Amino acid sequence: MSLVALHTQELGPADAGRYLDMLARSLRAARLNNSFPDRRRVDGTIAALQRAFDHKIYDQLYLDARTGLPNMASFTRVVTDQQMAEGALSRLDDRQELERRRQEAAVFERMADKHDYLTWLKSQELAPVDLHRVLLRRHDPGSGTASFRIELTKLDGSGLYMHLTIELTQVASVWRKRVVDLDQDGESAAASQAFHTLIYRCAALDAETLFIRLHGIEGVTVERVQRGVIGPVLFRLPGEDGQLHTTLEVEGVLGHAWQTWLAGPGAHARGPELLATFASDSAAGDIREEKSNDPLSPLLSAVIEERERARYRQMRERYPFRVFKDRKFVATRGLHGLVKAIGDAAGTRNIVYDLR
Amino acid sequence: MSSDGKINLDVLSRQVSYSGEGISVKTLEADIHQERTVQDNKVGELKTLRERNVEIQTAMADELKKLRKFSDYLNGTATKDGFWAGFKEILSYIPGLRSLSLSQRSIEELLKQQYQVSARRVKEAAEYADVLKKSELDLYKELDRINEKIVEMAKNEQVALDYVLELRQLQEELKQAELAAESGSVEVRDIQAQQDKVYAKLAEHSTNVQLYGSAEERYASLKENTRKLLETIRNLAQDIQQYTTAASIKLDMASAQIQAIGRAADASVVMLEMKRSLDVMTESMNVTTQFVSDTQIFFRTNLDTLIQELDTFDDTTTKVLDENLARSREIEEQRIQAAIAKAMSKGGDAPAPAPAQ
Repeated sequence: MSLVALHTQELGPADAGRYLDMLARSLRAARLNNSFPDRRRVDGTIAALQRAFDHKIYDQLYLDARTGLPNMASFTRVVTDQQMAEGALSRLDDRQELERRRQEAAVFERMADKHDYLTWLKSQELAPVDLHRVLLRRHDPGSGTASFRIELTKLDGSGLYMHLTIELTQVASVWRKRVVDLDQDGESAAASQAFHTLIYRCAALDAETLFIRLHGIEGVTVERVQRGVIGPVLFRLPGEDGQLHTTLEVEGVLGHAWQTWLAGPGAHARGPELLATFASDSAAGDIREEKSNDPLSPLLSAVIEERERARYRQMRERYPFRVFKDRKFVATRGLHGLVKAIGDAAGTRNIVYDLR
Repeated sequence: MSSDGKINLDVLSRQVSYSGEGISVKTLEADIHQERTVQDNKVGELKTLRERNVEIQTAMADELKKLRKFSDYLNGTATKDGFWAGFKEILSYIPGLRSLSLSQRSIEELLKQQYQVSARRVKEAAEYADVLKKSELDLYKELDRINEKIVEMAKNEQVALDYVLELRQLQEELKQAELAAESGSVEVRDIQAQQDKVYAKLAEHSTNVQLYGSAEERYASLKENTRKLLETIRNLAQDIQQYTTAASIKLDMASAQIQAIGRAADASVVMLEMKRSLDVMTESMNVTTQFVSDTQIFFRTNLDTLIQELDTFDDTTTKVLDENLARSREIEEQRIQAAIAKAMSKGGDAPAPAPAQ
C-alpha cells in the first residue's frame, strides 16, 4: 500500500467498509464528552460513507496518511452530496419507475441506488469540515460585560479532527474594538472577522498557548480554553486482495512506536487491529493541578528551553490559570501493549478502552 | 382463372389482413406526430441539458482553474513573476477577498470553502451524465419501436402490393371475358359489375400501398433523426463522464494540497503581520530614540542660554515683586494713619498720632 497523493492513502470499497465499521465502534467506545467534536455527527459521516460504498456511489475511501482519519475529500463528499440531495432527487425519476427498469440497464440500477442513498442522506446530521459558533452565556448591559462561549469544530490541516471551546468575558467600551458583537436585542452574538480568523488560524495551538494569546487582547478575560482532538488512528487491516493496509505517515513519538510495533508484534498479527487516540487539553483558572497525562504531549513547562524559562515563568505569573492534558485510547487487544509502552515511557496512566 | 375456364372471384371476397391497427392518412399523421413529439421532447431536453452543461462546465473549469493555480504553487511551477505577485493573483480568485485586507480572513478556511464549491460543481455535472445516459436508453427504445414500425409498414405495403397485383390479374381476366361474351348479355352485365368491385378494391388497396410506402419512408427518416440525436446524446454523456471523472479525481487528489497551501498561506500572513508589527514597533522605537537624542543635544547646546534666560526671568520677577510690595506697604500705612486720625478727633485727649514715616 502506498500514498496516492500528498498525505493521502486509499482503501477500496470492501476494506473501506471494515475500516469505517471499526472506526465507528472505536468512537462509541471512547465515550467522548462535549469537549470533543460531536460524536453523533462524526457517526453520521461514517454511516454516510458506509452507505455510499454499499450503494456503489464511490469506489475509494481517502484517508489522511498522518492521522488515519478520513481526509477532507472524504468529509466533503458526503457533505456536498447532502447539500445537493434535494435538487438531485427532484431530477431523478420516481423510485418505483427506477426499480421497474432496474434490470433494463446499469444506469437505472445506479440511479435507483443513488435515489436510496440521497433519500436517506438528506435527513442525516453530518460532521462539518468547519463549524464556528458563538454562544452568549451572560450579558449585563449595565456594565457592558458579556460572557461568551466560542466553539470551533475543524478538520485541521494536520489531518486531525478537533473541537475548540473558548469561554471568555468581554467588557465593551466605545473606544475599544470588540471581539464579539451582540445584536441589538442582546440575545445573539457573532465573532468579529478578525477574532474569528485569529481563532481559526490558532486552532492547532495547544490550550495553554491559545489562552495566553487570547488573554492578551484588550478588554477580554479568558476563563477557559478547551480542546478535544480525535486522532491519530492507527490501523493494520489485512485487505480483501491480500494486501496489508496500515496507517502510513504517523508522526512523532507515536509514529516511532507504531513502526516498532509493525515490525515486531504487528508482523505476527492476523486479524485487523486498530488504535484510536482522543486527546483533551484544557487551560482554565479552576483546574486544581497542572499536569499532562498525555504521553504524546508534555506540558510546555517541561519542554521549554532553559534560556526561555524565566520569561515563560513571568508570563504565567501574569495569567492565573493551570493546564491539564490527557489522552485516552481505544485499542484492539493486539495494540494494548503499544499503549502501555508509550505510557510507561512518558510516565502516564491512561484509560484504554478495549475494542472488540 | 380456374381449370374449368371460370373466373375465380374469391380474391374479391378474401379478407386482406394488415398487421397493426389499420392505416389512413389521419392515423398515419397522428402516429408520425406522436413519434415527432417524442423526438422534439428529447431535442428540447438535450438543448436544456446542453445549455446547463455549458454553464456547469464553464463554472467548473473556472473553479478547477483556481484550484490548479493553488496546487501549481505547491509544486513551485507558478512563480514566473515572483512569489508575491502570484500569491496576490491567487487571492484575487477568492470571492470577497480582494476587498478585504490580507489578514482579515483565514486563507485555509477560504480555500476549504472554495474546495467545497468546486466539489459541488463536479457533482452537478456528473449528475447530468446519468440523466443523459437515461435519455440515451429511452432513445434506443424509441429506435426499436420505429424499426418495428418500419418493418410493419414494409410488410403491409407488400401485402397491399400483392393484393393489388391479384386484383390487376382479375381485372385483366374480366376484361378478356367481357370481350368474349355477347354484347348486352346478362353475362356481360355480371362481368361489368365484378369489374366495378375490382376497381373499388384496387382503389382502396392502391391507397394502402401508397400510405404504407409513405409511412415506411417517413418512419425511416424519423429513425435517422432519432439515431443522430441518440449519437449526440451519447457523445455528450461520454464527454461529461470523462471530464467529471477527471475533475473528480483531481479534487480527490488535491484535498491535502489545498489544506497544506492554506496553512502555508495563513502562516505567511501571520509572518507578515508579525513583521508589520515589528516594523511598527521598530519605527516607534526609532522615533522615540531620535526624540530623546535630539532633546538631549538641544539641552546640551542650549543649556547656558536656557539658564541665563531663567535668571533674567527671575530678576525681573523679583523686581516686580519688590515694587509691588513697597507700594502695598505704602497704601497700608496711609490706611492706618487715617484710622488713627479719625479716632483722635473723636476722643479729644488721646495722644497725638506720630507723623508718617
